[in-house]
Amino acid sequence: MPTELVVLVSVLVFPGGLFAFALGLALKGVDRRVAARLQGRVGPPLLQPAFDLVKLGFKRTMVPDTAVPGVFLAAPLIGVVAMALAVALVPIAGVYMPDPRLGNLLVLLYLLSVPGIALMIAGSASGSPFGAVGFSREMALMLAYEATIVLVVAAVGLRTGHAEGQVVTFSLAEIVRHQQEHGAYLLDPVMWPAVAAFLFFYPANLGIVPFDIPEAETEILEGPLLEYSGPALALFKVMSALKTVVVLSLGIALFCPVAPDGIAGFAVWLAMMLGLLVVGISAVRVSIGRMRIDQAFSFFLKWPLLLAAASLTVVVVV
Amino acid sequence: MSTVPETYTIPVGPLHVALEEPMYFRIDVHGETVTHVDINAGHVHRGIEYLTTKRTMLQNVVLTERICSLCSNSHPETFAMAAEQIAGIAIPERAAMLRVVAAEVKRIASNLFNVALLAHLVGYETLFMHVMQVREIAQDIKETVFGNRMDLGAICIGGVRYDLDEETTGFLVAALDRLVPEIEAIVATYRTNGSILGRTRDVGVLTREQGLACGVVGPVARASGIAYDVRAVAPYAAYDRLPLEVHVLTDGDVWSRAMIRLAEALTAIDLIRACLRDLPDGPTRLAETPDIPPGRAIAKSEAPRGELIYYLKTNDNPQPERVKWRVPTFMNWDALRFMLADAKIADIAIIVNSIDPCVSCTER
Repeated sequence: MPTELVVLVSVLVFPGGLFAFALGLALKGVDRRVAARLQGRVGPPLLQPAFDLVKLGFKRTMVPDTAVPGVFLAAPLIGVVAMALAVALVPIAGVYMPDPRLGNLLVLLYLLSVPGIALMIAGSASGSPFGAVGFSREMALMLAYEATIVLVVAAVGLRTGHAEGQVVTFSLAEIVRHQQEHGAYLLDPVMWPAVAAFLFFYPANLGIVPFDIPEAETEILEGPLLEYSGPALALFKVMSALKTVVVLSLGIALFCPVAPDGIAGFAVWLAMMLGLLVVGISAVRVSIGRMRIDQAFSFFLKWPLLLAAASLTVVVVV
Repeated sequence: MSTVPETYTIPVGPLHVALEEPMYFRIDVHGETVTHVDINAGHVHRGIEYLTTKRTMLQNVVLTERICSLCSNSHPETFAMAAEQIAGIAIPERAAMLRVVAAEVKRIASNLFNVALLAHLVGYETLFMHVMQVREIAQDIKETVFGNRMDLGAICIGGVRYDLDEETTGFLVAALDRLVPEIEAIVATYRTNGSILGRTRDVGVLTREQGLACGVVGPVARASGIAYDVRAVAPYAAYDRLPLEVHVLTDGDVWSRAMIRLAEALTAIDLIRACLRDLPDGPTRLAETPDIPPGRAIAKSEAPRGELIYYLKTNDNPQPERVKWRVPTFMNWDALRFMLADAKIADIAIIVNSIDPCVSCTER
C-alpha cells in the first residue's frame, strides 16, 4: 500500500475517523452508565450518545440573528477535524504507530487546544451573553491547565531523550518504544507526580465536573453551546467524544504503553481505556461539585503545576 | 477580542434551568462580577386572590391549597385560622396536634428539597440525588398518611380532615426513625464537604442589620441572627405545648441558610414525635361545618419559608369579601439586592436558591 494511503486510512478509518468516532460514543455511553450507577440511578442505554446524534441529525440548526453565521457554523467543524487528526497522532502500543509525517507530540498539543478554541469562537460568534461568559471562562481555564500539560509533556520528553542519548524527544513513537523496552513510566517513581498532574488535566480538558465551568449548566446554561442546535450541536458532541479518545489514549501512550502485539495488545489497550475512563472521569465527576473559575484557576496554578514541575525538576537534575 | 465588551447585561430567567419557577433578573456584570440587579416579577400571576372572592369559604380551603405545591399545607391552614378567629372557634386538641403533624411533615420535605437543589446548583449531582432520595421518605409519609405526595388535603375550617390510626402512626414512627440518621448524615456532609463549603461559605452574605431593614423572615432571618419564628413568638395550633427549638446562626451566608433548614427538618421530626406521644383522644373537627359570620381577621403561621400572613374579611355572603396574603418570599426577595451585590455570576443561582423562592405563592 502506498504510504499516502496508509496515512489517509489512519486518519479516516483506524485509529482516527470511523473507529475513534464509534469508540468515543461507546466511551461516552459507558461513562454515563457508570456515573448513573454510582449515583444510585439506572442510567441511559449504552447507545444513548448515538441515539442523541441521530435525533440531532434530524433537527434544524438555528442560527441566531445576533450570530456571525459563517463563524458560528465553522466552529464545530474546526473542532471535529482537529480531533480526528489528533487521534491518528497517538500510537497504540503493539497495534498502531503513527506516520512521522503526521506530526509529533508538539503538534498533538496544539491540536488538543483546538476544541477549547473552537468553543471560544462558538461562544463569541453566537452573540449570546452566556456565550461571552463561557468564552472568558474557557480562556481562563485553558491558561490554567495548558501550563501543567506542557510541563508534563516536557518531563516525559526529557526523560525519554536522556535515556535514548539525546537531549529531548517529542516523538510519541519513540516515547512508546522506549517504555516498551524499559518499562512504563507509571512504575517510575520520578514520573509519579507527573502522572498525578496529568490526572488533573483530564477533567479540565474534557470539561467535566469539577472543571465544567465554561459550560456550567446551572450557571450559564451550557455557555458557548447555548445557541447551538441540530447537526451543529451534534458536531460538538462528536468533537467531545473524539477528544475523550484522544486524551485517554494520550495518557496511556505517555505513561503506560506496554502491551503485547496484535489483537491481544488491542484488547489490553481497550481495557486500559475503559479503566482510565471509569477511574479518571466517571468516578471523579460524581464525587465532587463544581469549582468557581477563580477557585479552579488558583487550584491549577498550585497543585498540578507544582506536581508537574516536581517531576520535571527531578528529570532535569538526575 | 473586541467583540466581547467589558460590561454587559445577562438575563437570568424568566425561564432558566437554575430557577424552578419563573422569575426574571436583569443582571449587569463586569467580567464575572455583578454590578447591578433588576428583579422583575409577575410571570405566574393567576388571579387567585380575585378568585377567592368568587368561591365559598369551604371551596377556598381547597383553592388556597393549590396556590403553590411546596407550601400547600400552610396556605389552607392559615386561611382556616383566620376564619376560625372570625367565628370564635377553638379547634379540638387532637386537631391542633394533627395540624402540627401535617405542617411539620411538609416542612421536612420542603427543606430537604431546597438543600438538595443547592447541591445541584453547585454541580454536585450525586449529593443532589442522595438528598432527594432521603426526601423520598418524607414523600412516602405524605402519600401513606395523607394519600397524596404534595397537596395533603389535611385542613378544614374547625379542625383537620384526616386522622391517625394505629397503622398509619406505626408507619409514621418507623419512617421518622429512618429519616433521622439520614438527615444527620446529610448535616455532617454539608458541614465538612469541601465542594459545598467552597461554594457556599461567605457567599451571598446578609447581615443582621440588612436583614432587619428588609424585614426578612423564616430561615433567611434566622441564618442572619434574627431569632424570629412565628411558632415561638405567636404560637398557634399546639406549638405552645411542644418542645420547639428555634435555630439561629449569625453568619448570614448561603451555607448558614442551608444548615438552618437541615436543623429545622430535625426539629420538625422532634415536634411530630412529641405530637404522637401526647396525642389525645377526641374529635378531629367540629361536628358541623361552621358558618363564618361577618368580620375581619388576621392570622399568621410559620410556613417552611417563613412567616405567612392571611387577612380575611367576610360579609353576609358565603363568599369572603376580601382575602389577602403576604408570603415569606415577598419579604425575602428584596434582600437579594444585598446578597447579590458584588457576587460572581457563578453564585447568582446559588444565592437566589438560598432564599428558597416560592414564586407562585408570591405572584398568585
